[in-house]
Amino acid sequence: MNMNEPLPLVSKLAKRNYLRKYGMLTAFLLICLVLSLLTPGFFSIQNTTIILRQVSINGILAIGVTFVIISGGIDLSLGSVVAFTGVVAALFAHPGEYPLIIALGMAILAGLAIGGVNGLAVTRGKVAPFIVTLGMMTIARGLALLASDGRPVTGLSDSFNYIGGGSVLGVPIPVLIFGAIILLSSFILNKTRLGRYLYAVGGNEKAAYASGIRVNSVKVLSYMICSGLAAIAGIVLASRITTGQPNAGLAYELDAIAAVVIGGTSLSGGIGSIGGTVLGVLLIGVINNGLDLLNVSSYYQQIIKGAIIIAAALIDRKK
Amino acid sequence: MKLFEIKINAGFFASGLLALAVLGGGCRQAGQAGKPVIGASMLSLQSEFIVKVKDAMEAEASDRQIRLIVNDAQRAAVTQVQQVESFIAQGVDAIILNPCEMEASSPAVQKARAAGIPIINVNSETTAEPDGFVGSRDEESAEIALQHIASLLRGKGNLVIMHGYMGQAAQLKRAAATKTLLADFPEITILAEQTAEWDRAKAMSLMENWIQSYGNRIDAVFAQNDEMGMGALQALEQAGLKDKVIVVSIDAIDDALRAVKDGRLDATVYQDADAQGRQAVQMALDFIQKRDSVEERSVYIPFRLVTRGNVEEFLK
Repeated sequence: MNMNEPLPLVSKLAKRNYLRKYGMLTAFLLICLVLSLLTPGFFSIQNTTIILRQVSINGILAIGVTFVIISGGIDLSLGSVVAFTGVVAALFAHPGEYPLIIALGMAILAGLAIGGVNGLAVTRGKVAPFIVTLGMMTIARGLALLASDGRPVTGLSDSFNYIGGGSVLGVPIPVLIFGAIILLSSFILNKTRLGRYLYAVGGNEKAAYASGIRVNSVKVLSYMICSGLAAIAGIVLASRITTGQPNAGLAYELDAIAAVVIGGTSLSGGIGSIGGTVLGVLLIGVINNGLDLLNVSSYYQQIIKGAIIIAAALIDRKK
Repeated sequence: MKLFEIKINAGFFASGLLALAVLGGGCRQAGQAGKPVIGASMLSLQSEFIVKVKDAMEAEASDRQIRLIVNDAQRAAVTQVQQVESFIAQGVDAIILNPCEMEASSPAVQKARAAGIPIINVNSETTAEPDGFVGSRDEESAEIALQHIASLLRGKGNLVIMHGYMGQAAQLKRAAATKTLLADFPEITILAEQTAEWDRAKAMSLMENWIQSYGNRIDAVFAQNDEMGMGALQALEQAGLKDKVIVVSIDAIDDALRAVKDGRLDATVYQDADAQGRQAVQMALDFIQKRDSVEERSVYIPFRLVTRGNVEEFLK
């Protein structure tokens, strides 16, 4: 396969992607403008740092699920995987017991294992991704409660807590991790064979299979990337709140999937980009932050958030 | 072949039913002669506090030679009603109910009473009146917390309030008590109030956003539970504002107690899970032994303020 010669179809899709991206970018800039005018504290380096730190967990999750959605799947187990891997990390992060790398490694291994099971059930078991990951949502939550005995795992080491709380040259570490994941996953999706295979499998599975792509392996990998990233989000969350919380991450998958869809990734697979997802994540983050700054009642907040998500998507489709 | 299978299944089923019947009968007999049986349906064993109540109930049950069956209703009133129905069918001697909801869990209470099995509500109430109640007055927790904030502020200052999940009984009662109590302190202004859904990560984000918009004007934070209080505390510490802002929350979870001890959290309010669980089992046993002649039918266990001065007695 030669990657330097885009097919006509691909370039057409790319054009449509550009329109989608710019539609959303306009909406995003408009919302930022309105919020800057309404709230004095909004447009500042300090608040930008705060927003970036707040979105980093949802951002890491959204990028993970972008891989799965592009390949034509869905992952509803994200929030529970965040809780489970956060608990696993916390269990190995008590001061003076294990080196930090063990805590991180065990959590990521747990995430990869869950992704592997999801992927195998979808490919070998031929069960709909919606069902598999819905089941896994409950299983992972149960595992989190089992591993933690239903109580938050507290008393974690300073080095572990530094991941979520510390910063390097004024940039919070979660933001640096988020940034690194953006770069790495854009590279994988745009520049590697795996990336092209993911789009191909999501776009037309039969054609992908006919052209010799090992569809099942590609799909399993997408679930493993997704859950592996969820484990990183789990580590960041546990570290940020300095506890492994078995109840953490409730409904996180919904915010992640919302960000992906706002970013123009098609839920039917084959279309989508990391840039779009990042924009979706930022949009949700800016709305959350702005409405808090304006002290909008929490009842209205829910309505406004939902309406803005739908409106943003509408502007996008009109273009 | 197929017929054979069906026969086997039917036989299996029948013997299962028989076993169940024997077991059920056994329970009833045991209730009169040997070990009494108590069935308990708990709101959610995912909640740290409820797990503590359950642990206390189990400890008391084993001290008193009682067989305790604990079911997790997973926050669903429908499940809870079904669990109580099966307790009735099993013929347990008493039921302890930790209600999911005031209204929707009421049928469980009515069914148990209709079946003549004593039912005791623990921790929260239902509209239907049970035989006995063991719990605390949720309003009291907010009153104690705010009273402490008001005295630290000397009756004057700006307050922000973090609510629990909107519409839940604990959130509503703590909010109502907050309003009533603050009416006595006209010079305490509420700068902002918002839900952080009992969640530490959400509370951290909310506090960061409040610091951004109100900055140095915030004098005190009241969070309706410790998880949120800890989140607010961490955000304030990161912004270097903790020395100027008072943080008080409710529940006395281990993390919060440690923070009080270290002088980070100003105060928390202790709800006595141990006493609630143990006294619920004691009351159930009372009802089994004395039936209608039980005198004390509602026990209110007081909340207690935990500050650096008395935190040692709460830390295990």
